[in-house]
Amino acid sequence: MKSYIEDVLAPRIQGDGGWVEFVSLEDQRLTLLFRGECSKCQILSRCLDWISQKIREDLGQEVTILPVCKKPFFWDR
Amino acid sequence: MAHVKVVRRSMRPEEWTELRFGWLQRGIYEEMEEIQDLTIRDARQTGENSYEYLDGGERPLKKGDVYFTPDGTAFIRGSARVPERFRGRDVYLKLSTAGEMMVRVNGRYAGGLDPNRDRIYLNPFLQGEEVRIEIEGYNRSKPDDERNPASLGIRGCRQIFEGAFLATIRENVQSLVYDYILLMDIAQCEYFNEDYRHFLYEKLSHALDLVDFDTWEGVDAAADYVEKFIYGNTDFHGSGDVALVGHSHLDLAYYWRRIHSVQKNARTVLIQLRLMDRYPEFRYTHTQAHTYEMLEKYYPELFEELRVKVKTGQFEPVGAMYVEPDCNIPAAESLIRQFLYGQHYFRRAFGKTVDNAWLPDVFGNSWIMPQILRKCCVDYFVSNKMSTWNDTNRFPHNNFIWKGIDGSTVYACVPPTHFITWNMPSQIQENWEAYQDKEKGGQTLSMYGYGDGGSGVTEEMLEMIRRFPKVSVMPRVEVTGGADFLHKNLLHNENLSVWDGELYLEMHRGTFTTKSNLKKMNRLLEFRLRTAELLFSLQALQGGAYPGDALRDLWKKLLLNQFHDILPGSHIHPVYEDAMQDYSDISAQITELLEPLKRDDWFNPLPFDRKSMVFIPEEGGNVTRDGSRGFWAEPGLPGLASGSVAPMKGIPGWLKVLNGEDHTLKVETPAYRIHFGRDGSILSLWDKTLEREWVLKGAGFNRLHIWADHPGTYDAWDILPNYRDVEISTSVTSPLSLTFSDDVSAEFTAVLSCGSSTWTMVLRLFARFRGIEVEHLVDWREKHRLAKVNFGADVLTREILCDTSAGYIRRSLTRNTTWEQARFEVCHHKWFDLSETGAGLAVINSGKYGVGLEGTEVSLSLLRSTIRPDITSDMGDHDLRYLILPHAGNAVEAGINRLAFEYNVPLVQARPAVPEELRNAICSSGLYLQSMKLSEDGKCVILRLSEQDGRRARITFPTPVLCMNMLEDPEGEAQTVQVRPFEIVTLGIPL
Repeated sequence: MKSYIEDVLAPRIQGDGGWVEFVSLEDQRLTLLFRGECSKCQILSRCLDWISQKIREDLGQEVTILPVCKKPFFWDR
Repeated sequence: MAHVKVVRRSMRPEEWTELRFGWLQRGIYEEMEEIQDLTIRDARQTGENSYEYLDGGERPLKKGDVYFTPDGTAFIRGSARVPERFRGRDVYLKLSTAGEMMVRVNGRYAGGLDPNRDRIYLNPFLQGEEVRIEIEGYNRSKPDDERNPASLGIRGCRQIFEGAFLATIRENVQSLVYDYILLMDIAQCEYFNEDYRHFLYEKLSHALDLVDFDTWEGVDAAADYVEKFIYGNTDFHGSGDVALVGHSHLDLAYYWRRIHSVQKNARTVLIQLRLMDRYPEFRYTHTQAHTYEMLEKYYPELFEELRVKVKTGQFEPVGAMYVEPDCNIPAAESLIRQFLYGQHYFRRAFGKTVDNAWLPDVFGNSWIMPQILRKCCVDYFVSNKMSTWNDTNRFPHNNFIWKGIDGSTVYACVPPTHFITWNMPSQIQENWEAYQDKEKGGQTLSMYGYGDGGSGVTEEMLEMIRRFPKVSVMPRVEVTGGADFLHKNLLHNENLSVWDGELYLEMHRGTFTTKSNLKKMNRLLEFRLRTAELLFSLQALQGGAYPGDALRDLWKKLLLNQFHDILPGSHIHPVYEDAMQDYSDISAQITELLEPLKRDDWFNPLPFDRKSMVFIPEEGGNVTRDGSRGFWAEPGLPGLASGSVAPMKGIPGWLKVLNGEDHTLKVETPAYRIHFGRDGSILSLWDKTLEREWVLKGAGFNRLHIWADHPGTYDAWDILPNYRDVEISTSVTSPLSLTFSDDVSAEFTAVLSCGSSTWTMVLRLFARFRGIEVEHLVDWREKHRLAKVNFGADVLTREILCDTSAGYIRRSLTRNTTWEQARFEVCHHKWFDLSETGAGLAVINSGKYGVGLEGTEVSLSLLRSTIRPDITSDMGDHDLRYLILPHAGNAVEAGINRLAFEYNVPLVQARPAVPEELRNAICSSGLYLQSMKLSEDGKCVILRLSEQDGRRARITFPTPVLCMNMLEDPEGEAQTVQVRPFEIVTLGIPL
C-alpha cells in the first residue's frame, strides 16, 4: 500500500501541486498525510473518493481514508 | 467608558443596487438545451502532445458527475441537434468549468472555456442542425485565484460537471450587464470622484427600477436610461492617458509542467483568435518564440490562422526572446542565445524582427541587458515587477531610458501596475494614478488579460473598451499594440529620465539560491556547451563537420529551463524533475557529440594561459573532488592550446600542522599561517607574502551559519531582511582534522550537524597556489532554513565587486539609504571581491549566485529549504565548491576574472587544430571568448568576445573579419576591432 500510494498516486497529485504521504494502514483504515496544495484544498473529499476507488480497482482493497492535512504556517491563519 | 460600535443592519441603497445587479446577470441566458449524450475519457499527459489513457475507457458524462482526475486531461465528446426554436439566432455552447478546455465543433477549433469564460459562439461552426463537440480539458490546479476569488472554493483536482448546453442569450440583458460591470466598478472604486460615485449609484438604482426581473421587460428602457443619464452626463471629468495592450502572461512551467504549457498556450491563442473574429478592433500581444514554435508543431491549423492575424496586425509577437527567462542567473551568452533563437524564429515564421523585450514577470534584470538588447535589434524593454513588487522603495520611473554596464541605452517601460488585469476602470485609473512620468513619458501602459492559462482577454474586457469613451470620468484610453505604444511614447522622447544601473527587484531575493542543483547544472552546461561549440567550430575552420542542429537543440533545451519559474526554483516538484532530466540529457548528449573528438591530449578552451591549479579526473587519482577521483595537474597550458598534462610538482615538507586550543588547528603553508576553528571556519589568515591579516577578528570567516528562513507565502521566492533574527545552532560532530596531504595539496575535514542534516566541510590548501578551496558535502534535510557561509574580511572597503558574467558591478556595502538597505541579498556570477588599495580578497564559486551584504559582512548563500511550491525543495545531497583567494592588487590587477573562468571551465580531452594566427589574435587581445560557433546560416565562424575588466582593448586579425550584431547580421568589415570597456563584440570569420 505504501509503495502504491507513493509511487502510483503521489506523482499524479504532485502534478497538481499537491502532496500525499502514506502514514499507516490498520484494519482497513488508511491514514494519509496531505501537504502542499492538498493541505488547504476545500474539496479534498472528492480526491479521497478517487484514491479509495483507485485502491479498490488496482489493489482490490476496501479502505477508509483518514486524511491528515499539514498546512504550512503561512496558510494557517 | 464602553465603546459601542454601531453596525448598520438594514440594507443600504448601494446593496439594493448590487443585489439587483446579481438578478440581472441571471437573466443573460434565455434558453438552454442540455447536451445529453456526452462521454468522457480520462488521460494523463505524458509529453508535449502525447497522452496515456487511463483505465475505464470512455464513459457517459452527465450533469452532476465528478470529473477530472489529479494531473489529468479529460477528453469529452458528444453531439447534439440545434433545436428548431434556436434556428436563425445566435447559438452558444455554454459550459461552466474550473478547468481549461479547448473545444472543437464539427471538426474545427471553435474556442476555449475556463473559469474566466463559460460560452463559445457556435454559429460560424454550425453545419445544419448537427453539432459534434470534442473537448480536451485540463484541470487547472492553479486558477487566477487571487484575482478571481470566486474560483477558490472550486479549486481542486476533481470537479462536479455542471452540464453542457446549447443556449441563446438575451442580447439586451447581456449588454446591460456589461454596462453595470463597468459602472459598478467605478461606483465602488475610491480612485474616482466621490460625487460622481454617489451620482452613479443613484442613477444605477433608478435604471434597475425599470426592469421586471421575472419577465425581463424594461431592460431596453433601463439601457436607454443609462445611455441618457449616465453616459450622457458630462458634468464630471477625469484625466489621464492610458494605452491598453491586450496580453496573456504564460508561465511555461510553474504549478504545471512545461508539457502542459503547450496546450495552455494553444488554448490562449485560440481564444484570442476567436475574439478577433468578433471584435475587429481587438489587438493582442504574445511573447516567447518557444510558444509559437510549439503551436506551429502541434497545432498547425491554429498557427496558420495566427500567421494571418500577424499579417493584419491584430496578433502581435512581442518579446524577442526564446522564452521569458530569469534575467539574473543566466550568463551573457545564454541571454544572447535567447534573443538569437527567438529573433531567428520570428524572422522565419513571420518575416519580422521584434524590437522589444517583453518580460513582465521576471525577478529583476541584470545590468548587462541593455547592450545585449541593442545588439539583438531590440530597442525597447518592458518589465513590470520593479514597480508593483518592490518591498522597500518605489522605483522612480515608468517610461525611461535604461543605461547598461557598457553605456548602451535602451528605451524602457516598467508599467505602474500588474501585468495581469481584467481591464476594469478601477485598474486603469489606478495605473494612471501610479504613473510617475505623467509630464514627460507620454501615455502609461496598462496590460489587460488573464494569464497562465487564464487565456488572456475576454469578451467582457473588449465590451468595456467599447464603453470607456462614453464615461466622462475615465482617463482617455487608446487600444494599441505593444510596439506601437513604445514607438509613440518613448522613441525620440528627449524628456525621459535615465536609470544607470541594474534593475534590481526588491523582492524574490531567494531565487538566487533556491534549488541549488538547478543553478549548478545551468552553470556547468553553459560552459560545456561553450566548449563543445568551440571544438566543433575549430573543426569547421578546417573543413570538418559542425553539428549545428544538434547543438542548437541542446541550447534551446537549456534556454527553456532558464524560464523565470524554472531556473529560479519557484515551481512544483515535477517541474524540478523535468529540469534535472533535461540537464542530464543535455550533458549526456554533449558527451556523446564530443566522443569522436576525444584524444589523449588535453585542450585549454580558455583564451589565456592556465595559471591556477587544474583538476584532472582519473580513476587512479589520489584526490576526490566533486565525487570524482583525480589529481592536481601542473598549470601552464597556453590559451586555446593542447598538450599533455603532468601531475603538479610539489614541495616536500610544505605543510606544518599544529594542534591549537579547543580542537583548533594552526597550519602553515608557503603562503599563509592559518588558524582554523574546529568547525572549519578560519579564525586567522596571515598572508606571509603580503604580510597582512585577512580575517576580521570575531567576525567569522568561512563560518557556516544556518538561519531560520520563514519568508511566508512567497516561500521559494523570498528571503526577508529579518532572516538573521534567529540562528539555528550547528554542532561539530567531528572537529576539523587533516585527512589527506602530499607534496601538492592537503585536505582538512570537519563534520557538522544541524537538525537531521550532516554537513561535511573539506578545506584544501596547496603547496604552490594561493587559493584555499572549500567543498561542502551536505546531506540536507531541514525545512525553512537558509545556509550561508560568512566572510568577515579585514578589508577596509565600502564596495563589493560582483561578476555579472560580462563585466563586474560595484555594489555599495554601506547601509545609509533605503536603496542600499534593500539590497541585502544580491545576485552575482562566478566571483565577488573585496579590495583595498594594493590587495584584496576574492571568493570564486562554481554555481552559486546569492550574496548577502550586511555592512562589512559578506556571505555566500549556499542552500535553502522551502516548502512552497515544492515541499522537497533542495532536500538531499549537495556538493558545493568555492575558492577563497587573497591577492595583491585589486580584482582586475589580480586577474580574478580569468581565475574565475579557470575555476569553472575544465580542460577537455581533445586536440583541435587551432590556426596559429587566430589563436594569437584572440589570446593577445585580453578579451574573453564568450562563444565560438558556426553562424546560423553556416557561412562563417562566429567569435563573440567580451571585455570583462572595464578597460579598452583591441583585437587584430590577419585578414579582415565581418563585424556583426548578435543576431549575426553583418554590419561591416574590419581587421582591427576596438573594444570599449565591458563591450561584447560579435565577429565573423568567413568560411
